[in-house]
This record gives sequence, C-alpha cells and structure tokens, in this order.
Amino acid sequence: MIEINGLTKIYKLSAKKKKELKTNKNVKIAVNDLSLVAEDGQITVLLGPNGAGKTTTLRNVSTLLTPTKGYIKVNGHDTVKEAQKVRDSICFLTNEIKLDEHFTVDYLFTFFGRIKNLDDTTIEKRKKELFETFDMSDFKDKRIEELSTGMKQKASIVVNLVNDPEVVIFDEPTSGLDIVTARSVLDYLKKLRNEGKTVIVSTHIMSEAEKLADKVAMIIGGRKVIEGTIPEILAKTQTADLEDAFFKLYMENNCSEKGDKDE
Amino acid sequence: MNKIALIVRKELYRVFGDKKMIMGLYVIPVIVTVAIYVLIGKMTSVMTNDIEQHTSLVTIANATDDFKDAVENSGFSQNAQINYIDDATYADKKASLDEEVKNSDMDLVVCLSADFAEVADEYAAGGSVMPGMDIYYNDTNNYSSKAYSVFNNTVLETYKNSLLTERYGDVDYLSVFNINTENICKESMANTQFIRMMLPYMVIMLLFAGVMSVGVDAIAGEKERGTLASMLISPVKRSEIAAGKLIGMAILSSISAIVTTASMVLAFAFMGSDSTLSGIGFGGVSFSALQIVELLLIMLALVLFYVSLVALVAVYSGNTKTASSAISPIYLVIIALGMVTMFRTGTDTPTYLYAVPVYGNALAVGDVCSGELTLVNFLVSFVGTTAIAGILTALVTKAFNNEKLMFNA
Repeated sequence: MIEINGLTKIYKLSAKKKKELKTNKNVKIAVNDLSLVAEDGQITVLLGPNGAGKTTTLRNVSTLLTPTKGYIKVNGHDTVKEAQKVRDSICFLTNEIKLDEHFTVDYLFTFFGRIKNLDDTTIEKRKKELFETFDMSDFKDKRIEELSTGMKQKASIVVNLVNDPEVVIFDEPTSGLDIVTARSVLDYLKKLRNEGKTVIVSTHIMSEAEKLADKVAMIIGGRKVIEGTIPEILAKTQTADLEDAFFKLYMENNCSEKGDKDE
Repeated sequence: MNKIALIVRKELYRVFGDKKMIMGLYVIPVIVTVAIYVLIGKMTSVMTNDIEQHTSLVTIANATDDFKDAVENSGFSQNAQINYIDDATYADKKASLDEEVKNSDMDLVVCLSADFAEVADEYAAGGSVMPGMDIYYNDTNNYSSKAYSVFNNTVLETYKNSLLTERYGDVDYLSVFNINTENICKESMANTQFIRMMLPYMVIMLLFAGVMSVGVDAIAGEKERGTLASMLISPVKRSEIAAGKLIGMAILSSISAIVTTASMVLAFAFMGSDSTLSGIGFGGVSFSALQIVELLLIMLALVLFYVSLVALVAVYSGNTKTASSAISPIYLVIIALGMVTMFRTGTDTPTYLYAVPVYGNALAVGDVCSGELTLVNFLVSFVGTTAIAGILTALVTKAFNNEKLMFNA
C-alpha cells in the first residue's frame, strides 16, 4: 500500500530554468498538498496533462526525490527515513530511467537480481518466468543498444520486476510502444493487480485509464482535483465518460488558476 | 561490501565485455605510445648518425701551408670536402658563399686574413698581434653546426697548440691547474637524465588521461543516458554506488596506466639499447623491488585522487560534454604541474610540498627514479594524496544524494 499525505514538492528555479520557463518566480510548485492512498490489489491511475505533477509524485514515491512537505509511506515505510526498505519492495518504471546499453538483458537481469538480494536460483526461476511472459527469450543475449524501442521497454519491465516487487510504480507505461507491446504491458499490470500487488500508474491517455483503473486521481497544476472509482468520478462530475470529466475539471481548475494568476 | 563488489564487477564488465572499448582504452593507446617513442628513438638515432656521417662542405680562403698541415693533421679533412681558395677568389665569391651557407648548400666558410702567415709567425716568435680569421656557419643547420664545432675542436685547437708550442716551447706552461676530473654517479643513474626528467611527467599525465577516459562516461555519461537512476532506485546505499563506481574507475584507469607505462618502459628500454640514444640520456632506468613498491603506491594514491576528482566534476556536470569541458582545464593544470617538476634544481624540496597532490606525487616519482626518496617524503606524499582523495570521495557520495544534481530537480 502507498500512503501519500500532504505531498508538496517545490523546486528552486535557477536563472537558466526561469528563462526556460519564462517566469520571474524563484520557485515552482510541482505538487501541491497531494494526499492519496493506493491500495494493495488495485491499480491506481494518476491522470493529468503534461506537467501536472504526475511524474514528480511518482518520483517522490520511488524515493528518487524528497518531499518538500508531507510524507509518503510504502507498506508502512517512510520514503525518506526508510528509503532502503522502500526500495526493497518497489519497482519504478519510467522512460527517463534506462538500462545501460552496453549490457545484455540477461546480464542486467542477473545483476539487478543480485543487487536486490536474490540468490542465483531465484534469479534463474524469475528469469525463465518473465522472459517467457514477455516473449523475450530470443533477444535476452542481445545488448540493449541492439534492441528496438518496444524491446527496450520490455527489457526494462522485466529487469525491474526481477524481485517480484510488492509495489509497482509505472510512469506512462505505454509511451513509445507499439499497440501489441502496449497491450501486453497493460495485461501484465492487470495480472500484477490480480496477484495482490499495489500498482500505481501515471498517464494522460483516457482510454488507458479506463481500461486499467480501479481508482483514478486526477491531477491538474500539481493539485489533486478529484479521486475515486470511474463511476464515482462520473457521478461527481455529472459527465458521461472520463474524458468529459477530465475536461470539465480541467476547464474549472485551469480557469481558476488563471484567475489566481490575474489576481 | 558485496554490493560494492557487484558494482565494481559491472563497471569492469562494461569495458572488458566490449571489444571496441578494450581496443579504444588499452590496445590503441599502447600501440600509439610504443610507436611514438620508437619512432622518436629511431628518428633521433638516424638524425644523429646522419650528422655524424655527413661529409662537411667547407671553403677555406687564404690558407697558409702551415694551416693546411693543421687541417690534415687534425683529421678534420677525413670527413670534410675542403675547397681552398685564394683571397681574390674569396673577394669575388663572398656574397655567393654567404648565400650558400644561409641556404645550407655550404656548411662552413673560413677566411684567414691576408697577412695571416706573417702575423702567425710574429706571434709564434713572441709578437703581441694575434692572427685573425673570419668563420661563417649557419646555426640552424645541424650539418653546419657540427662542421663549426669539429673545426673549432680539431683544426683550430691543433693549430693553436702548434703556435703556442713555438712561442713558449712547451704548451703545458700555459696550464694553471692540474685537474683530474672524474664523473661520479650511481651506476643506475648513468645516462638516464632524459628518462628521470620525463618519467614523473609521463606518469602523472598518463594516469590522468586514463582516469579521464573512463571517468566521464561512468558517471556523467550514465547520468545523461538515465542509466544511473536505475541504480539509485535499487536497494543499495548511495555510498556503495559511489564506492563501486570509484573503485571500478580506479581499476580500469590503473590498468590503462600500467599498460601504458609498461609500453613506455619497453619503448625506453628499446631506446636505451641504442648506444647513440643512451649517450644523450635515454639509457634504461633500473629499479629495486622497494622502489617498484614505492612507485606503485604513489601511483595508486594518485589514481585515487584523480578518480575522485574526475568523479566529482562528472557528478556536478549535467552531461558528458559539460564534464569534458570542465575537466580539460584541470588536465592542463596537471600537465603544467608535471612540467614544473621536470626542471627541478638540486636544492632540497620542503617536505610539506610532497603532500600537494599531483605536484608532490611527481616529486616523489622523480625521487624514486634517482633513488633519493626518503621514507618521510614517501609517507607525506602517499598519506597526503590519499587523504585528499578521501575528502573528494566523501563529496562525491554526498553529491549522489543530491536530487538536484542527480535528477536536475
């Protein structure tokens, strides 16, 4: 289970960043007082436009970043005070984190298995299971640099799942994948959910959220604007589908943000 | 510790599992180093032999019979083609002879004064006026310089002695001191001036080049490609990641340095076996077991310092390009520090300077070569450099925990 409580992440902006973002502000509030619980045996989807704060939230959950305010607990362990214990039980998949291209899939699988304290017998067992599931046996001995984008994504998933983590954190799971690979990834996430794992996923693709989500948290401008099952969200927003609900909330919040800025 | 070993093994496998990296990091530099030094040796040898064997082209104007005898008796004429001309011909040809010397078509022109014979006779009989001559040569032409030098040391010396003998009866009357000169040096240091001067410089420069080639990619490259983050979200301490990376870099660059140094030693040995080169300081340096241990420990401390320095720069850089740009001026400073130690005088260097990384290490390597490294200076150099490397390593570990540096957050 993941418990996010009052998460706020504020970045200090360098002069270069301010120029890039065309702002005079010295800080950027990437995530603002966000609270959320992702339960075991559920897929929780963070839904929001680009730059909403989804990735920052997941980076905080995965211990890569430290919250400016608030706290996060993964299976009861604080992500700052007990970062090592949290890292023992999670895997974080994102396009920004890549596998070293010099190595083969097989080598990296064994390497990360050992880093994650697995014995060689367990590593070989997991290797057989995951390579078969993701149909990777044919290219397990190829270097990452020799693989296509889809294969790289699969390799990344397989390597990260080596220790059968209890919590799976996935940032934009189908980004850059062909339709067949994307389908197999989504199916595997459902399988993990059915095994009782905690799965938290970020996406801006509505159809993906509808297919996966047991619970959706919409994030706009760093704030969580709504949370619940899809039927609950549709009921609260009085809309027919998730896309309509999103746009309704987006317009309301974007306008209010603009109003705030105007003030 | 086990995880550090795993990371070290991965860093080593990254290089040794890739033929291209082995070629780029170890094989090609060795081939190039050996080739360069062997080529330098061969060319120096060929040049020296060529100058030795060159038949000097010499024109002597107004030579008296006595002077011609001196030229013959001195042996100068054996390796010189001499054209004797009279004063009138010289007056006609002077401009063209000057031009020939300038253009390296002529090596030496000597013109004795018109009254050389009379003045020389008067001088031999006790006169006060010395016979005169003009000598023209070209300092930028090796053949001309050699012709001038040999002419001076043989013909003029022979002729001078004959005049002085006539004048004083015994030329030894002109000697003031009875000098017995003996060059006393350690056998191991004979004819090794060049190597002793170059080795410290080469060691500190090549070690840094080795570290630079693996260090930038191992940290800044991995940050840039997003592969370092996969380690950072693994259940392994940041200090273990830093230690694994640094140890891996140290091993890889040490191998690079050892391979390159060994190839240089081979090249020097090859050059030292050539008697011509040995005579000008390329002789082979030999080390005792203790000196080898001292040398290896100094190099180890230096590698640790370099690795931590390059890692610190790389971790603070956003990408390999920035890291390389930042490291380039450091490389220049290191080259400069190495060069400073090349021109040391015989004065004692204060012990505290041995603690200065790079400079102190170069001093210590130089002292190892000359067999003059004291235990105190060795310890100051080793401990000083290692301690500073430790401080830099702590800063690298701290930087690994800095989310702004690691994720541009």
